[in-house]
Amino acid sequence: MNLDHIRNFSIIAHIDHGKSTLADRLLQLTGTVTEREMKEQLLDSMELEREKGVTIKASAVRMIYKHQGQEYEINLIDTPGHVDFTYEVKRALQACEGAVLVVDASQGIQAQTMAHLFAALELDLAIIPVINKIDLPAAMPDDVAQEIEELLGVPAEDIPRISAKNGVNVETVLERVIQEVPPPQGDVNAPLRALVFDCHYDPYKGVIAYVRIVDGQIQGTPSLLAMRKGTRMEPLEVGVLTPSLFKTGHLHAGEVGYIATGLKSVQDLDVGDTITLAESPAAEPLPGYQPMKPMVFAGLYPSNPDDYDDLRDALEKLRLNDAALVYEPETSQALGFGFRLGFLGLFHMEIVQERLEREYGLDIIFTAPSVAYRVVKTDGTELIIDSPAELPEPTEVERIEEPWCEVHIFTPAEYIGPIMDLVTKRRGEVKNQTWLDSKRVELTYMMPLAELIVDFYNELKARTRGYASMDYSLEGYRPADMVKLDILVNHQPVDALSVIVHRDDAYPKGQKLVSKMKQIIPRQMFTVPIQAAIGNKVISRANVKALRKDVLSKCYGGDVSRKRKLLEKQKAGKKRMKMVGSVEIPQEAFMSVLRLGDED
Amino acid sequence: MTAHTTSVRTVNPASLGVSTPAQQTPLPTPIGLYVHIPFCERKCPYCDFNTYAGMASLYADYVDALCLDLARWGSALAARPVATVFLGGGTPTVLDEALLARIFQAIQDHFALLPGAEITCEANPGAVDRAKFQALRRLGVNRLSMGIQSFQPEELRFLGRIHSAEEGAEAFQAARTAGFSNINLDFIFGLPGQEAKSWAATLDQAVALGPEHLSLYSLIVEPGTPLHHWVESGRVPAPDEDQAALLYEMAMARLDRAGYVQYEVSNWARGEGASPGVSRPTEPTHVCRHNRIYWRNQEYLGLGPGAHSHLTLAQGAASIPQELRWGNLRSVPEYIRRVQADQSTVDFQEVIHPRLAMGETMMLGLRLLQEGVPFATFQERHGQDLRQVFRAELARLTEWGLLAVDEERVRLTRRGLLLGNQVFAAFLPDAS
Ligand SMILES: Nc1nc2c(ncn2[C@@H]2O[C@H](COP(=O)(O)OP(=O)(O)OP(=O)(O)O)[C@@H](O)[C@H]2O)c(=O)[nH]1
Ligand code: SF4
Ligand SMILES: [Mg+2]
Repeated sequence: MNLDHIRNFSIIAHIDHGKSTLADRLLQLTGTVTEREMKEQLLDSMELEREKGVTIKASAVRMIYKHQGQEYEINLIDTPGHVDFTYEVKRALQACEGAVLVVDASQGIQAQTMAHLFAALELDLAIIPVINKIDLPAAMPDDVAQEIEELLGVPAEDIPRISAKNGVNVETVLERVIQEVPPPQGDVNAPLRALVFDCHYDPYKGVIAYVRIVDGQIQGTPSLLAMRKGTRMEPLEVGVLTPSLFKTGHLHAGEVGYIATGLKSVQDLDVGDTITLAESPAAEPLPGYQPMKPMVFAGLYPSNPDDYDDLRDALEKLRLNDAALVYEPETSQALGFGFRLGFLGLFHMEIVQERLEREYGLDIIFTAPSVAYRVVKTDGTELIIDSPAELPEPTEVERIEEPWCEVHIFTPAEYIGPIMDLVTKRRGEVKNQTWLDSKRVELTYMMPLAELIVDFYNELKARTRGYASMDYSLEGYRPADMVKLDILVNHQPVDALSVIVHRDDAYPKGQKLVSKMKQIIPRQMFTVPIQAAIGNKVISRANVKALRKDVLSKCYGGDVSRKRKLLEKQKAGKKRMKMVGSVEIPQEAFMSVLRLGDED
Repeated sequence: MTAHTTSVRTVNPASLGVSTPAQQTPLPTPIGLYVHIPFCERKCPYCDFNTYAGMASLYADYVDALCLDLARWGSALAARPVATVFLGGGTPTVLDEALLARIFQAIQDHFALLPGAEITCEANPGAVDRAKFQALRRLGVNRLSMGIQSFQPEELRFLGRIHSAEEGAEAFQAARTAGFSNINLDFIFGLPGQEAKSWAATLDQAVALGPEHLSLYSLIVEPGTPLHHWVESGRVPAPDEDQAALLYEMAMARLDRAGYVQYEVSNWARGEGASPGVSRPTEPTHVCRHNRIYWRNQEYLGLGPGAHSHLTLAQGAASIPQELRWGNLRSVPEYIRRVQADQSTVDFQEVIHPRLAMGETMMLGLRLLQEGVPFATFQERHGQDLRQVFRAELARLTEWGLLAVDEERVRLTRRGLLLGNQVFAAFLPDAS
């Protein structure tokens, strides 16, 4: 198709503002999927996405649309809204010339509305703002239109007001896309340059690369080359996404589609790489993507040490379509062989956890999340550590620096007080406060990242009855008085329970951890002391009292089977615990460190 | 029918060959016979036994069915002498003398009772009087087991018992006058909020009556019972485990002083020649021989709904004998129907493979505090040396002070007694 008749755009928005629902309507309108195939948020194809009603992965689809007698090829990319997946949005935007910015008529502009908008503006994309959910009783389309006008300079009355759910005014969106999103540029006759914006592993077809052809074309299945990685490929097929893989045999500049690369391992191809023809390669690869920086790190272990290999395989597969996931091997005295994983945020961590459990059927343990600290040693050397175990001895440490971030919070003004309180408790500093309109403000704070990753978002939601939204970005390191807090069970430090905390928090945190452990560790045959310590100094302690009596003294008569099954159950329960020294520690103990909220 | 666990056909006396131990040994090993009476006057709120109130209209039909079942099992196991009979429940004494007589007649007719067999009947105060006890004597019952549970009025009320503390003591006296010289009294401890004082008072009164045997069970909140519901809904506090432990140790001390030997985790018997305060008991004289069959991992046949059996049987003509445990279905009418139709009444059945059998021998045998598990008995039963098979477990558990091993046997230590489950579980194979 002629480039003039191609449009590539992403749908971007704050979480839950209705991107995927709008995509549904567009798919229907263009007849891309039949009524029979239609289901809600069709592009959310992962089990977890469907269950949580949240988009995790961006997904692309090609639509054919007739407008004023002309046929257009429109490539749409639905993107996730959650703050942890902003990188997905950025990657999708790089494959587009325009973005439809959806704003919920009842909620107005929120943190990710801004974050994703800025990402699109940075790439000079055409922005088409759209007000969605006008059918809601709480909708305030006029106010929201006003907000958008102030933000983008688009006249309020020009902003389409739609209900994606009810299909009201949806066609306008497509018309606007055709009118306002510029057709892709690119030279069909230049050497091939295809930007890999996503990857996926298919058990039958191997690694599938989702590409935007920037220059040139692919006809048939020529030998290909990944320019940065240097991998050669003998592709199986190329085609477009409808949204299933639809083989066309050719792709040309301006189009979005897929290449079944024939590769068997996702390691052989990086998202952001440029694919070119092996025989007549392009001179320069495309700029590609900035590498994603993991923000949060945690240990991951199989509950059953025998599952280590399965866990490794699962991580490899997962990384095929989760480029943000990084990991390396790690060992723990308490938990054995495992991995240290880096995540973009806690939600990302949660998603990885659930995918490993469900898609790979693994029983796993995560240790407490940590950020990456910069440690300046007395000998002048510097190192970055993301695990308490890596922290050098206090005597070798000149200073520790921790990552700080700038946090933007969008909230109705009545919650400023509670938010201030929360932020101050978390060592935050006020930076700015801007009124969005008469009722809503944007608050800007500086805060240590470590304070942000532990339940901050949930707390924020709780204190603002769900009305506040937030976004954050890293803003460098600052010196901090951090200490390693160890938990000793029966006088033995349990490495997987150690955390790095601010000295001021060490005492309350230690107390909380100790009392949590006391609840979780079952009574054993002897008294088990539990202590929290900084170095040699014990700052909190409690005892798990010894079991006094544990013997069935009930009359079971001749029903030996029942009695035996009770004991077998008890024994099986013990087997699932981790032995640390002579103490049995249930697996929840390790996970519970994750869930130490503020208010308990 | 829901036969689970194994592919083995469920046990039906009609399809049994003659039991194999009988063919192999010149003197066939005796078995215990348990007969279940699934009726009570009122259902106690903590009780999860298979017993029902308000079923008097079924008594006669039930006894008919039971006699039929005794008959068919009697002929299937013709060669196995019976060392003990236990008529339990429920409350067997809700049946009138005529019905009870028919049951004992059927037992006599179809089973070979050994001379001096122990014949126990359970009884609950409130449903018995001296005449009933005399009737039981006439029917050949030589041991009584009475559910007294407590001597404290408010505890009896909490337990929903139909009798008062006085009626408990009177029932005991009536049994004595009727000529019973081997009487067990059952008690429950660890009631929510139960204090040492009231438990001590109950124990003192029990000792004062001078029964030959005492069974002390801790109150367990069993799912499905009204008590469970009360605890779940917060109407009643959950029993406190530490308090139960304290009461248990208190009972151990008191009964020891009173001349009773704790020969099993929950059971005490009067010792040889001991009278209170005179000399320390050494050998228990009045152990419950029927229950000891369970603890020794020996064989027994249980009849009636919900009753359990443990027998090594060869089913069909040529098949190899297998060690089996099975349980009957729990519904009384269904049991009656099945027996009338000469069908199997089994609801649950499992084959005990040799490794499991050894585990069971340990789990059960270690409950016997003096006897423990003798190496010779183990060798005879399983053809293996206990010290070899369980070398690692013995080493670990003795190191922890839970087991004591001497030349002859392995036993629980006092610490091991209190933490028995930890010990028993160690010997069981991992559940699949
Ligand atoms: N009333 C109403 N509800 C809508 C409308 N559009 C979407 N919704 C609902 O809003 C919720 C979120 O819709 P999604 O389409 O999943 O939102 P999203 O922006 O894709 O969300 P994420 O991908 O998680 O960021 C769903 O319950 C939709 O049914 C609308 O026009 N009106
Ligand atoms: S009398 Fe005994 S068997 Fe009957 S309901 Fe009460 S506790 Fe259960
Ligand atoms: Mg979505």
